[in-house]
Amino acid sequence: MSYESPIRDQLVTGGKTYRDVTRDVTRPLENAPSKSWWIGFSISTLVLALWIGATTYTFLVGLGAWGLNKTVGWAFDITNFVFWVGIGHAGTLISAVLLLFRQKWRMSINRSAEAMTIFAVICAASFILSHMGRPWVAYWPIPLPNAFGTLWVNFNSPLVWDVFAISTYFSVSLVFWYIGLIPDIATVRDRAVSKARKFWYGFFAMGWNGSTKTWHRYEVISLILAGISTPLVLSVHSIVSMDFATSLVPGWHTTIFPPYFVAGAIFSGFGMVLTLLIIAREVMNYKDYITEAHLDAMTKIVMVTGTMVGMAYITEFFVAAYSGVEYEQYAFLNRAFGPYWWAYWTMMTCNLVAPQVFWFKWARTTPWFIFIMSIIVNIGMWFERFVIIVTSLHRDFLPSSWAMYTPTITEVSILIGSFGLFFFLYFLFCKFLPTINMAEVKSIIPTHHDDHGHNHAKGENHAN
Amino acid sequence: MTIMDITMRKEKIMQTNKYILGVYDNPDKIYSTTKKLINKGYKVDDVYSPFAIHGMDRLLGIKRSNLTVAAFLFAMTGLTLAVTFQVYVSKIDWPMIIGGKPNLHIPTYIPITFELSILFTAFGMVTCFFIVNRMFWGKNADIIDPRVTDDLFVVSIQVQENKTDVQALNQLLVENGALEVRERIKD
Repeated sequence: MSYESPIRDQLVTGGKTYRDVTRDVTRPLENAPSKSWWIGFSISTLVLALWIGATTYTFLVGLGAWGLNKTVGWAFDITNFVFWVGIGHAGTLISAVLLLFRQKWRMSINRSAEAMTIFAVICAASFILSHMGRPWVAYWPIPLPNAFGTLWVNFNSPLVWDVFAISTYFSVSLVFWYIGLIPDIATVRDRAVSKARKFWYGFFAMGWNGSTKTWHRYEVISLILAGISTPLVLSVHSIVSMDFATSLVPGWHTTIFPPYFVAGAIFSGFGMVLTLLIIAREVMNYKDYITEAHLDAMTKIVMVTGTMVGMAYITEFFVAAYSGVEYEQYAFLNRAFGPYWWAYWTMMTCNLVAPQVFWFKWARTTPWFIFIMSIIVNIGMWFERFVIIVTSLHRDFLPSSWAMYTPTITEVSILIGSFGLFFFLYFLFCKFLPTINMAEVKSIIPTHHDDHGHNHAKGENHAN
Repeated sequence: MTIMDITMRKEKIMQTNKYILGVYDNPDKIYSTTKKLINKGYKVDDVYSPFAIHGMDRLLGIKRSNLTVAAFLFAMTGLTLAVTFQVYVSKIDWPMIIGGKPNLHIPTYIPITFELSILFTAFGMVTCFFIVNRMFWGKNADIIDPRVTDDLFVVSIQVQENKTDVQALNQLLVENGALEVRERIKD
């Protein structure tokens, strides 16, 4: 019942009808997985095995299995944690912030982006567990009356805030995702032919029947969930940045961190969304749903947030120079020209320079090129966290304790393995759940007024 | 006839549990039809659709849901609990001096208070949503038509004894482009 101006480009191309949407989206669920799915799934399972092996080894041996030393006590683990949490930001941003701004192009990408959020946060959480070295005491940051008397956690500590932020973010994102899935699960239920599918999708559809009363309440809670998720997204990465910003380490102790981390998170999150969706639209043939206009819009966000991040890098340098604090100045000079200069310049190139190509329309609408760029973005964002963490720590207050940090094979295996965990979950999601929000996409395709299924010329079938 | 039996049993009540369903393939058609039905005084029970049809809720006279109020109350609950708990732990139950900092320090309680308010809002409101819709895991759905989650739209009109002219109603539905018109008895 919405009126869309005929001069606007259609969000879903190919003259799809409601039935086409249902068929296209449920096809991967209802048929045997394709060869490419099996190949992808097998590779990610193998990489997941690497993650299990390396993590188990760490738990058995202890943190001595890693390259940490008394100067650099945080390195790969927290780099990977911040990296994955950052990736986990695009999903909720797409569904919540773009819902509040009534950006309808979000509708065909929000489902996979939210799934990505959840899986990325699972990967991030795994690094919290493994960096503790003793995962069996992982419940200690939770304020419980415990075996040591009534000794509680320290609420002044940003690490405790982080526990609350990440767990809230994970559970609220999961709820948001599930609420969005219910009408689509009901669609799969109503099409199901096998008994098992009817039972399981029926179980999780919670008796959804599509009545207007339900839809009305559904829209109300979607809006409120979006409203509360928006500040939540911003708060989570701000709190992650406070893990660093509230310390006294030069290079960390800056007030610019919260907005800078949030911009970086959106940047890397959109990078990962692009990586996944460009594959998905090829493999699952969703080019009519995830159109070049979607890629165009997302790459613009990548460019803007990349430039914001670059701006923050330069601001940090300026503030260090202007503050007159020698330690701060040294920390930044050491970043750019010290032993880890290559990491710094990788970060600068990938995050600030590379996204500037998106000023050109060709770059924004050529899928293979965007795919390469999306990987560059994520390499850059991984190095950003590495630079912030390792270069600030390795030359600390006493030159006698300066040290270098090199990761061990175990650490590298955990990082690579975490991608296995991520893609393992993502492939399962593609097989068992509708990867495009059917109900929302149906609401934005033009109403077909002719009963014969012909497609009118563009614009003619828009009215009403 | 079953309908006769039912109506005889409930002869005092005007409402019956017989419904007429009009099946459409287009949200605009079902919207205009529903409008006509309401104007002509038919008792439209509900409209079923694969996605939310904007304006349909207002047309059917559904009041704005109170879930917003529930959300606010849950947010306040989360906020109160978070503040009380943090103050109790760090000031009353076991005050600790860490790094010489004060043990009652309100600004550092803000992040956790904020997170818990959001957590309570999300879970509380969604739980209320499930309760008011009578939705739960494993519920056997009362499916009016399996195609309603795919591409069809169904308007359901409750038949009122001595009032609803079923013949005219059927004709009205068909004239407005219904693909099918059916009867449904609700238990």
